[in-house]
Amino acid sequence: MENPNRLLLLAAALCASSYLSGCSVFRKEKVEPPQTEEQAAAEEEAEDADSTPPRVIDPNVTRRKIKTPKIDSENWELGAGLGFMSIEDFGTSSTYAAQFNYHVTEDFFFRADVGQSTAGRTSFETLGGNIELLTGDERRFTYYSLSLGYNFLPGEVFLGRKLAMNSGFYLLTGIGNVTFAGDDHLTINLGAGYRVLPTDWLAIHIGVQDRVFDSDLLGETKVTNNIETLLSVTAFF
Amino acid sequence: MEPSITTTRSRRLRRTNVALATVLACFLSVTAIAKKTEEEKAAKAAAAQEKLLQVFVSEPYLELSTGPGRGYPVFHVVAREESVDVLSRRTDWFRVRTEGGVEGWARARDMRRTKLADGSPFMFSLGDMAGFTSHDWELAIGGGDYGGANLLGLSAGRSLTDNMKIDFSLSQFLGNASNGWKAEIGLQHVLFPEWRFSPFLTLGTGYVETKPRATIVLPLDREDQTAYAGAGARFYLTRRFFLRADYRWHTIFTSRDDNEELEEWKIQIACFY
Repeated sequence: MENPNRLLLLAAALCASSYLSGCSVFRKEKVEPPQTEEQAAAEEEAEDADSTPPRVIDPNVTRRKIKTPKIDSENWELGAGLGFMSIEDFGTSSTYAAQFNYHVTEDFFFRADVGQSTAGRTSFETLGGNIELLTGDERRFTYYSLSLGYNFLPGEVFLGRKLAMNSGFYLLTGIGNVTFAGDDHLTINLGAGYRVLPTDWLAIHIGVQDRVFDSDLLGETKVTNNIETLLSVTAFF
Repeated sequence: MEPSITTTRSRRLRRTNVALATVLACFLSVTAIAKKTEEEKAAKAAAAQEKLLQVFVSEPYLELSTGPGRGYPVFHVVAREESVDVLSRRTDWFRVRTEGGVEGWARARDMRRTKLADGSPFMFSLGDMAGFTSHDWELAIGGGDYGGANLLGLSAGRSLTDNMKIDFSLSQFLGNASNGWKAEIGLQHVLFPEWRFSPFLTLGTGYVETKPRATIVLPLDREDQTAYAGAGARFYLTRRFFLRADYRWHTIFTSRDDNEELEEWKIQIACFY
């Protein structure tokens, strides 16, 4: 009994082993061919593309357009002043003037100014009695000039313990015209001034300018120096 | 299938749907309200921006001085990400107001590094060579010679394009024989506006008033129309300044039989804006 049983078992075992051991053979799995380099690279790319995060925010957003408003520029300075004009040979008299500044940079500015004064009497007229060199209209001393100014020594001035105001000196030079004694004279002006700003838009100036021109009024042609001292108030706009 | 199971499921589903719809409605209404308030805020901000420009500090800090000049002390510092409102500009300085209401002057060089609300840089014209090539206005003062008389005057120019400008000039001349005034308007064609030394051609018309001097016998005032053609050159100096040298050939249409011809040359210091 043992032998046929053994034979049967053996046969069964053989069959089973032949079947079981070959199970992988029967799997209908596709065996991958060895990868070429190109394929590998393509696969990597595909993986990279898959690794990007899904789009959560829709990028199709309309941007709000910022309209930049025009910035107010305050480079112009307009003002008026009162002072004294010392007209060579004709004494010192009061003068009034208007001035217009255009600030180009923090250092340089253009100035146009115009003023008027009335000349007094020369010592010759005073001593000579009833002599009048000039008529009333001719005594009017009218001037204008176009100048270039240079700001220097900017700083602050302190009035008391709590009040500080901006200030600065400036130098001026330019050319202009003087109408005096019935004639026009080309003038060169040189000067300096001091400016204090109580607020950002208001300035108080103290300035001195020498207006130089050739005059032949008293016989021979000579260079005359006419010194103007002016206290003026200007506003920036 | 048994109907009871279906109804139970559908009821459950309906409940969930209702709950979801309610949540969604609430969410939508809340977002709508939020969006509305946001829009209102944006509108308000836009309205405020229409009046004043707001810029954001993107550098570590922005220094504010007491005045528009290098000599005035720095008294306040605005930190990064904070905003300032731009109130006005004077030369190369901007007067700004901080969120805290502090007002001071910031230099243009620093303001160039700030950003607008949309993150774009704050751009504005700085006085440089690019500005010399392309600008709107120019102003010049100077002097020269007008038919033997001393000439002084000022001129203003308005750019139509970088090449073409309208030129206005007002001048006075003071000579031995006569004095007078003249006013002119013309076109100026700058040949190479991008060059530092840049030639130009000019053509125009004007009006001249001549007064013989008191010492001369002929006491006749004359008012005449003139026409001129000329050439010149512009030379960029620095910042907003350039020099302008100009030659003009004038024809004066006198009331006499012959027209008068005069030469004028002048040199001017000019600025652009």
